[in-house]
Amino acid sequence: MGITLTYTEQELVSLLRNRDNKAFAYLYDNYASALYSIILQIVNDAELANDVLQDVFVNIWRRIEQYDTGKGRLFTWMMNIARNASIDTLRSRSYQNSRKNQSIQENVDTLAATDVLQPGVDSIGLRKVLERLRDEQRTLIELAYFKGYTHEEIAELEKIPLGTVKTRIRNALIQLRALLR
Amino acid sequence: MNIQEYISSGIVESYVLGLADEAERVEFEQMCTRYAEIRAARDAFELSLEQHAMAAAVAPPTQLRETILQQFTTEPAVSINPGAPVVQLRPIRRSTASMAMRYVAAAAIILLAGSAILNIYYFNKYREYSRRYDQLVAQQAELALNNKAMQTRMGGYERTIAGLTNPNMAKIYMDASAVPAGSPAPGSQATVLWDTRTKDVYLMVNNLPEPEAGKQYQLWAIVDNQPVDAGMLEMDKGRMMVKMKNIPRAQLFAITLEQEGGSPTPKGPMYVMGKV
Repeated sequence: MGITLTYTEQELVSLLRNRDNKAFAYLYDNYASALYSIILQIVNDAELANDVLQDVFVNIWRRIEQYDTGKGRLFTWMMNIARNASIDTLRSRSYQNSRKNQSIQENVDTLAATDVLQPGVDSIGLRKVLERLRDEQRTLIELAYFKGYTHEEIAELEKIPLGTVKTRIRNALIQLRALLR
Repeated sequence: MNIQEYISSGIVESYVLGLADEAERVEFEQMCTRYAEIRAARDAFELSLEQHAMAAAVAPPTQLRETILQQFTTEPAVSINPGAPVVQLRPIRRSTASMAMRYVAAAAIILLAGSAILNIYYFNKYREYSRRYDQLVAQQAELALNNKAMQTRMGGYERTIAGLTNPNMAKIYMDASAVPAGSPAPGSQATVLWDTRTKDVYLMVNNLPEPEAGKQYQLWAIVDNQPVDAGMLEMDKGRMMVKMKNIPRAQLFAITLEQEGGSPTPKGPMYVMGKV
């Protein structure tokens, strides 16, 4: 699917920085669905995803000044905001409470049984691509990208050396890139 | 460092997806500024990721759009540019204020001009009505005078009628033909009304010529062949009955023309005479 823009990215960014409401409507109309999909893949709950999408747009509104065009595309910047907001929501205390104070260890143990196998969500976006990776690679990407764990946390959780974690994740990403082409 | 090896190490994907640690990020950003190939690889991966995300898009609930966008219309620009809107608003406020003042000034001038015109108009009206009022007052005074004169005359006539119809009044008709030596005005006539109880004498002129200047008619009562002054005639009374002097007893009444103010004994010509 091609992306048809009536604004160039630069025009859009400068309009957003001027708090142009039409530009925000345009941004929403063109990107909300893609961002919503990313949020859904992480929080795996439609109602929660609605709240996160609101947070994401408020963050875009407030932090558009901080966006640096030299460091990447606008969508990449927004996608990372969406990912971070989603992971923050999952980690928030209220959400943890609702999940009965599961420890990291318990969380990881139940990972394969619950989250990854949720019907629906695993058939969209990056998750769908991940299905084509080997199980061990998929678990690492799941923990690193969708759960937001650091390489050190993953090394501890998976009981494998930090260097191995890095190498496996890099290899998984290289495969992911090939699959996205 | 071999650039191609660096590009294919997975750092590009790691950076773009936000999985690189702080040291890797700083290094990658420096490399991007130095090597166009690295930037190109980054751009290419970003674009493929974006296209993939667009293809995998899931529409959020439709009502969410309004909820989210409404926040931006109600939420002012927070903390980022707090000064800017104020600076922009000031000249606008100033210009609207001066426009309002211009309208107020214009309205004031129009009201002042209107007021001045009305002042002139009403002053002219005032002068006109003031003049008319003075005229009316003068007319009213004249009418009042006329009215008083008319009332006086009415009273005179009423008394005349009362005298004529009074059964106690003796009427003595005096005529020019009764004058022994002959009257200078043959058609002259006058009537004396004599109250038989009070003995008051009243005179009513029927016809006497207007006396010349300096002369006045005088009524005489002839008592035992001696003339007694019975009073002077005022010609402006017309045919009204005019009260004369009190004459207790008389056989004749006569009128002569005398010097103005009268004479103790008659000297002028006799005009009319009548027997009691």
